[in-house]
Amino acid sequence: MYSEVVVKTLKPVDIVAGCFLALLGLFLLYASSMIRVGVERALSPRAFPSAIGIIILICGIGLAVKAWRFRGEDPVIHWPDREGLRIILVNLILLTLYILLMNPLGLPLSTFLYVTCTIWYLNPAKWVTAVVTGLVIGVVSYVVFIELLQLSFPMGFLFEG
Amino acid sequence: MSFSFDYLIQGFAIALTWQNLFWALMGCLIGTLVGVLPGIGPASGIAILLPMTTVLPPTSAIIMMAAIYYGAMYGGSTTAIVVNIPGEASSVPTAIDGYEMAKQGKAGPALGISAISSFVAGTLGLVGLTFFAPLLADVAVVFGPPEYFALMFMALTLIISLSGRALLKGVISMAIGLMTALIGQDPLTGAARLTFGFPKLLAGIDFISVIVGLFAISEVMINVELKITAITQKITNWMPSWADIRQCTGAMLRSTGVGFFLGLLPGVTPSVTTFVAYDLEKRVSKHPERFGKGAIEGVAAPEGANNATSSAGFVPLFSFGIPTAPSMAVLLGGLMMYGLQPGPMLFKTNPDFVWAVIASMYIGNVMLIILNLPLVGMWARICVIPFYILGPIIVFCAVVGTYSIRFLAFDVWIMLLFGVIGYFMRKLGYPIAPMVLATVIAQMIETSLGQTLLISQGSLLILFTRPISAVFMGLAFLSIARGVWLQVRYKAPEVALGEDD
Repeated sequence: MYSEVVVKTLKPVDIVAGCFLALLGLFLLYASSMIRVGVERALSPRAFPSAIGIIILICGIGLAVKAWRFRGEDPVIHWPDREGLRIILVNLILLTLYILLMNPLGLPLSTFLYVTCTIWYLNPAKWVTAVVTGLVIGVVSYVVFIELLQLSFPMGFLFEG
Repeated sequence: MSFSFDYLIQGFAIALTWQNLFWALMGCLIGTLVGVLPGIGPASGIAILLPMTTVLPPTSAIIMMAAIYYGAMYGGSTTAIVVNIPGEASSVPTAIDGYEMAKQGKAGPALGISAISSFVAGTLGLVGLTFFAPLLADVAVVFGPPEYFALMFMALTLIISLSGRALLKGVISMAIGLMTALIGQDPLTGAARLTFGFPKLLAGIDFISVIVGLFAISEVMINVELKITAITQKITNWMPSWADIRQCTGAMLRSTGVGFFLGLLPGVTPSVTTFVAYDLEKRVSKHPERFGKGAIEGVAAPEGANNATSSAGFVPLFSFGIPTAPSMAVLLGGLMMYGLQPGPMLFKTNPDFVWAVIASMYIGNVMLIILNLPLVGMWARICVIPFYILGPIIVFCAVVGTYSIRFLAFDVWIMLLFGVIGYFMRKLGYPIAPMVLATVIAQMIETSLGQTLLISQGSLLILFTRPISAVFMGLAFLSIARGVWLQVRYKAPEVALGEDD
């Protein structure tokens, strides 16, 4: 029912991706021309980036044309269904929050929150498992990375001072 | 410098210190775990741990990293046999006959033979490494920048042409990898390149965040949709009979040959050689009809091949400084992080280091067979940890690993970005290996090309007039021609093969 919204086969996606890549190639060529050259060298600092721009431009066009002219059985892309898409998106949001909160809350607390919330979200029935796993990983993150390895992770207000 | 027993014995002396034994054991344990768990492979496993090992001396750190790689080759078969879920792409052929055997109640012997075959082929592969690497390093000593450029160029073309039918997508994947690595300051002039006006991009993008994103994060995204079935079979008798072992001797030796010699080539990862070895066994077998229905050689062959290939990958890494697979690319990055320049001079300048790592791999293989035979039941149980618990833990490891590269949240955002990119690459049939390899060797390629042009006063012809580089360039163009020919011949849509990391 929802599936009409999603592009299900490779051909149209390849055409769009090819055009997008060709544009990226052009943009790279422009960006390379902006690089300061300075003293003359055997290999200009512009050479490699421009070459990559040209490669991406040509392959992008090639990909789009090839897909356009393709007349065979179009492979199906295995996109997640609506439910799967929601799971992936919520997971990405939780991960984004984890990274954002790491500095203000510190590694141990943000880790506890991330692990607990993610497990809880993925399997709501197992909230005890979620809290226990979150606690264990949070404590491990503190003991191993901050105490033992003394890496400079943010500690957060809980452990500061 | 050719091989000498003195060096190897000295290597063993270093590898047998308590500290190095401990880190080898840790590497074997983590490697088996990484192999057993679907959703995390050796490349991302090593990449995540790499920044954290800076507290260790370089030899211990690399001993552990190497052990993770070959350890993963042992672990990958467990889930393939028991639950028909290959822990790694290199264990896909193992699942064909391994799972059939398990269904017939012979999971124990299948697991046993896979461990024995891994041990035999891994150790024979190490003998090959011990003799070949110093020999090739001798050859490589005469390499100048043109030869290095040509070699890396060949490595890139091979890895693209091996990524299945997706030639254009392979080239795009490589080009984007190169682009990513060029972002930042030009190493010679310090001028900003491709930073698009963002000051944060001046420091460049670290390849570890790219690799962790491409492998670990995108894999987790794919896996949150999957559900793993629980193990129902209890494994009590894990020892294969002598008759089984005798029956597999040929398969073990043949797969060692295939795995080792093919594994010397860039782009030929364990996931390639396992299929070749499986296919070969089927061809030479007097009863090819048994394959796919629980033939024990069908388990021994791929498991032998992936271990022989993992040993072989160290030959070009140590003697040329060229990675053949994503995991090797991460290890190369690790070596450079420690200020060790891999390549022919490594055997001259740091013989203790190289030989200690090689010696530790012999020890590691013994550790792994001990860990794997009696403990196989334990490993099999670990793989049934449901993904809703495993996924967040993998992400936690990925975030911590990436953050500890430079202690910048920026690197973690890059990891997330490449996780999303990797997810779409997998869904849309783009091969990931060319991007990873390109990201790691981009700077080396550009530097060697710059030096080449300096020698030749700006002419690229030098690449074709010096004999060794001419051979490499010739092979590179052959592999390009083969790729283009396949494209024209089979008008198939662009889809990459399943990949190993």
